[in-house]
Amino acid sequence: MSHNMGPTMPGHEQPQDDPELLERFNERIAAGDQIEAGEWMPEEYRFEALRLIQMHANSEIMGALPEREWIPRAPTLARKMALTAKVQDEVGHAMLLYRVAETLGRSREEMFADLVEGRARFHNVFHYPAETWADVAIIQVFVDGAAMQTQGALRSCSYAPYARVLKRICYEEDFHIQLGLDVWRALAEGTPRQRAMLQDALNRWWTPLIHFFGMPDRVSPHSEKMLAWRIKVKSNEELRQQFLRRFVPIILEYGLEVPDPGLVWVEADQRYVYTEPDWEELKRVGRNNGPKSAERLSLRQAFYRQHAWVRDAIAQWGAAA
Amino acid sequence: MTGIGRAETVAGDAARAVTWERRLNTPHDVWAVFLQSHKRDPHVHVGDVHAPDAEMALVVAKENYTRRDPCVNLWVVRAEEIHATTAAAAEMFEPGIDKSYRFGGSYRKQKQVYQSAWRLSHRDEDQ
Repeated sequence: MSHNMGPTMPGHEQPQDDPELLERFNERIAAGDQIEAGEWMPEEYRFEALRLIQMHANSEIMGALPEREWIPRAPTLARKMALTAKVQDEVGHAMLLYRVAETLGRSREEMFADLVEGRARFHNVFHYPAETWADVAIIQVFVDGAAMQTQGALRSCSYAPYARVLKRICYEEDFHIQLGLDVWRALAEGTPRQRAMLQDALNRWWTPLIHFFGMPDRVSPHSEKMLAWRIKVKSNEELRQQFLRRFVPIILEYGLEVPDPGLVWVEADQRYVYTEPDWEELKRVGRNNGPKSAERLSLRQAFYRQHAWVRDAIAQWGAAA
Repeated sequence: MTGIGRAETVAGDAARAVTWERRLNTPHDVWAVFLQSHKRDPHVHVGDVHAPDAEMALVVAKENYTRRDPCVNLWVVRAEEIHATTAAAAEMFEPGIDKSYRFGGSYRKQKQVYQSAWRLSHRDEDQ
């Protein structure tokens, strides 16, 4: 994974940190303290925090793309305005996150170059098509709902600037889920064709949603250290279960089918058992080889070029000021 | 504060034994945004923006920080102009002695008054 994120740290070498500072840092984190930008931190901490936040920023700005496709095709003016507002929020989140990532030592320009040149990663769910209006409902309720589990947990992460922007991001994501539930409800209580369209979208999104939280804990690399440093707050599986507990009831409540016949609630363990998805697909998609990866990246590149004159104008304005 | 940069810049005499204040080391085009929700509230740092000058910083700040919640006034200032106490100096905020005498609540009589009549008639939500 690390080779995709630029030259910040070579893949295998362990960076040399001052052992005394490292010990003090570990003590502070263990005591629940949070780190501010500009304070001393181990190189590996900086690297992992940057990787996490840069990927989050990329995902916000790439996540705007499948949804913006539906702004011109939204069924009513009210839906169009709500969707426009949501897409604007996502781009705003990217702005906040790139600024936080920047405090970890990588410039906004470098990160954007990483993204448009296909070296950086963004979340698996944004590599898939949004084929129908029902996909918009699924994205707003389930994709944003999944993101809320991860980001909600990370509000207590150890990097304080990230924790602060997540507070605001979660506050806005909650609106998106509310908007999405309204679209979901309209379709779920609609005509048989609307219900079929919703079920079809749910079927297509189920595997990406199970993938969303990452590999099973048993194979998730260096999870323990990230948990100890609170760059990760809950394990992948914990978050996946939290998501299922909150969102499976919504599917059932509206008489739709959970697209996994193997999904069973185990009362004794208070957890869901689900059919193991194809984890190779997640790896493939994560390497920008998903069904829509190339198309979305080229769209991002096209806008980047198209808007170059704005960046130039701002730079010249700055020089003249 | 989001606006703090990567490296520490020591303001003033670098030879001083304990550095208790520093200037935030941020890129020149980063502006810290302070938002006032209501006239009765102070301006609060809500985040940063990148902009070539103050006017554009205010425009970008408006787009990014006032989409939903109330705002009556925005301030922007180049983040690199902000001086802050250092993390190492945080202990200067720890009270050196018991300061309960500064809080009315530490006196038992006062506490009774506070928790009964005064508080009931001065709840925050009534303000």
